[in-house]
Amino acid sequence: MYVKGIAAFAAALGVGLLSGAAIAQEVKQEKQSVLGNANVSPVTQEQLNAADKSTRDFLLTNGNYAQTRFYPGKQISRDNVKNLHVAWIFQTDVKESLETSPIVVDGVMFVTTSFSHVYALDAKTGQQLWHYAHKMGPITVYCCGPNNRGVQVLGDRVYLATLDSKLMALNAKTGEVVWTTNIADPELGYSETMAPTVVKDKVLIGTNGGEYGIRGFVRAYDAKTGKQLWNFHTIPENSVGVWATKDATGRDMHRNIQAEKDMLAKIGDPYAKLGGGVWQNPSVDLATNRIYFVVGNPSPDLDGSNRPGDNLYTNSLVSLDLDTGKYVCHFQYIAHDVWDLDAVSPTVLVNVKDKSGKTIPGVIHAGKTGHIYVHDRKDCSLIRFSEAMVPQENMWVLPTKEGARMLPGANGGVEWSPIATDPGQELAYAINLHQPMTYHVESSAYPNGKLWLGGAFKVIPGEKQAGNITAVNYNNGKIKWQVNTPEPMIGGILATAGGLVFTGEGNGKFAAYNSSNGKELWSFRAGAGVNAPPSSYMVGGKQYIVVGAGGNTQLDYKRGNNIIAFTLD
Amino acid sequence: MFSRWMICGVALLLMAAQARAETIEEKVQVCAGCHGESGKPVDKTIPTIWGQQAGYLYIQLRDFKRGDRKSEIMQPIAAQFERDDMLAIAEYFSQKPWPDLGQPRAPKDVAEKAVSASRSVGCPACHLDRFQGDGTVPRLAGMGRDYLAKTIADFRTRARGNNPGMSDLMLATSPDDLAALVEYLAGL
Repeated sequence: MYVKGIAAFAAALGVGLLSGAAIAQEVKQEKQSVLGNANVSPVTQEQLNAADKSTRDFLLTNGNYAQTRFYPGKQISRDNVKNLHVAWIFQTDVKESLETSPIVVDGVMFVTTSFSHVYALDAKTGQQLWHYAHKMGPITVYCCGPNNRGVQVLGDRVYLATLDSKLMALNAKTGEVVWTTNIADPELGYSETMAPTVVKDKVLIGTNGGEYGIRGFVRAYDAKTGKQLWNFHTIPENSVGVWATKDATGRDMHRNIQAEKDMLAKIGDPYAKLGGGVWQNPSVDLATNRIYFVVGNPSPDLDGSNRPGDNLYTNSLVSLDLDTGKYVCHFQYIAHDVWDLDAVSPTVLVNVKDKSGKTIPGVIHAGKTGHIYVHDRKDCSLIRFSEAMVPQENMWVLPTKEGARMLPGANGGVEWSPIATDPGQELAYAINLHQPMTYHVESSAYPNGKLWLGGAFKVIPGEKQAGNITAVNYNNGKIKWQVNTPEPMIGGILATAGGLVFTGEGNGKFAAYNSSNGKELWSFRAGAGVNAPPSSYMVGGKQYIVVGAGGNTQLDYKRGNNIIAFTLD
Repeated sequence: MFSRWMICGVALLLMAAQARAETIEEKVQVCAGCHGESGKPVDKTIPTIWGQQAGYLYIQLRDFKRGDRKSEIMQPIAAQFERDDMLAIAEYFSQKPWPDLGQPRAPKDVAEKAVSASRSVGCPACHLDRFQGDGTVPRLAGMGRDYLAKTIADFRTRARGNNPGMSDLMLATSPDDLAALVEYLAGL
């Protein structure tokens, strides 16, 4: 606040050009933690198991362990959503990219900001109850903004993963640190932006770093002590695979298999620095005790010359046993990816129709390719993929030094943004990007934890970019409706039993749509990019919709620092 | 120019004493000769380190010591430091105020060209809003124009070899766009 005050004073005096130092502090304010007293009741495992039925709380990043992002309350409906108005706005101390999914526990809300801050707020009034300002280590290495996507609560602890690759438990009542565990060495390119998933006293966490030559993982830590329980390498020691020449949709990827085999004979399996980050939460099948997640791109992104083979399990759906972390099954969408069109949006568990029309437990994922993929949960096999939600062109042309044009651009399709589903309508809702790009390749040796793209993906200046909100029937793969937006979309979406979907845009628009036909029913201008997934909850008998409006680093959308809650009068 | 380099060179003679330096002030004494007593580098091709991101400064010292980044001047200096020294030096300079080099803002058309080029390859994704940097990614806003131009040129030839990802991005950007970026960043 002090720095903001100085800036305002300078502006009032007509000082035209603020010094760079003042600007810097406005963007990233150094704040001390403020301990407090949040009257929050402990969260039980039973509550978490039944999160999909709770209208009071929003307990997990994507609503529930199946990650449906379907909120079962319907006080806010198609009929009355036009009367939605701001209940409160909370301004955080950090004006940078906001990707947080607000978590709500019995009237207390937990939100995070860039640089791994956590706030506990009164969900009815927006009043701050405590603020944890993470003291960041000097070494952070990350590709796409200093983001944090949220926390989860179990018992009386709030679990947080930080940009400098630490896992922490905070006291939910006060914000005090209970324990801290180092996850991995940030100097080697590891960082954390995802929210942990906590289940059965295990804290599940992946890692970023696919742009830095890491070896990715998903791990479980003991929720009580922070001790590591198991580790699953997303890159197995045999990463070669089956030399697949076609992607999940049957398109040829133009691999030079012989050249790859020659390279394999020369350098051996490249698993140790092959990337394979995990950006988003796993879904948890409580009935079978399995988790499902997707693994990101191989390192280096665009240069496949020094990483022969399919590069397992990059660009794949993977399932593990929750108790042991042992491999159950996988399905690879793009073997030996050289376009960074990887798998990042979180998986969703829903019942789906198999090829014979029989209803079975399924798992779905929205890809950067612009397809929604539908799998059999039993063995990860692909049942179907949807119509493309964005223009596709020239797939899979190989990157060149001069740059080869291909659509989608490297951000997708669907980026990390979680999708929502409405099982009653058999619909999945995804937000998409359309960014025409050229793909460029360059070759360089492993750079010791530095950015290792192996080239560049370059937005073509002057070409129209756009976005869309798309509803896909996951039982037949057809697009039910689509709403075009003027800019590429990144953030997330929420469906509700009120027959609505809520999502935001980089230009600050936050809107509600009829979930059956896409008709816009209400909108609000937030003043900064709404690029975070919305949540919903009830307190004092009223339903609220809440979303972060802080813009986005990756797409350079206008930054802000607002958490905005809406309700009916 | 010549006299400044002389001063810079004389300062380097302090390197012998450097090995025996104990306090942080003693350890950083050698730096002022080139990087400036008040944070303004004595030569335009020398980077600003006052107010720079600590993680970035540490990584550069580490890379000079490893030989991943080449410099006849910096490599022997960094060779004397252990990791803790480097972290302390990095922290020391990061806490100093960023100096105003008095470089003019880029004209509107140049700025627009620079912003378009920077968005095209995603510069703000790492260097952040207004190019302030964070962690191991440097602040570029207000950096010396000549240093920026030289560094970009060195990335393109890979003479600056300790960040091939940056080389890739600079090679994918036209010299014309890069010239606009230099002017824009220097004037921020």
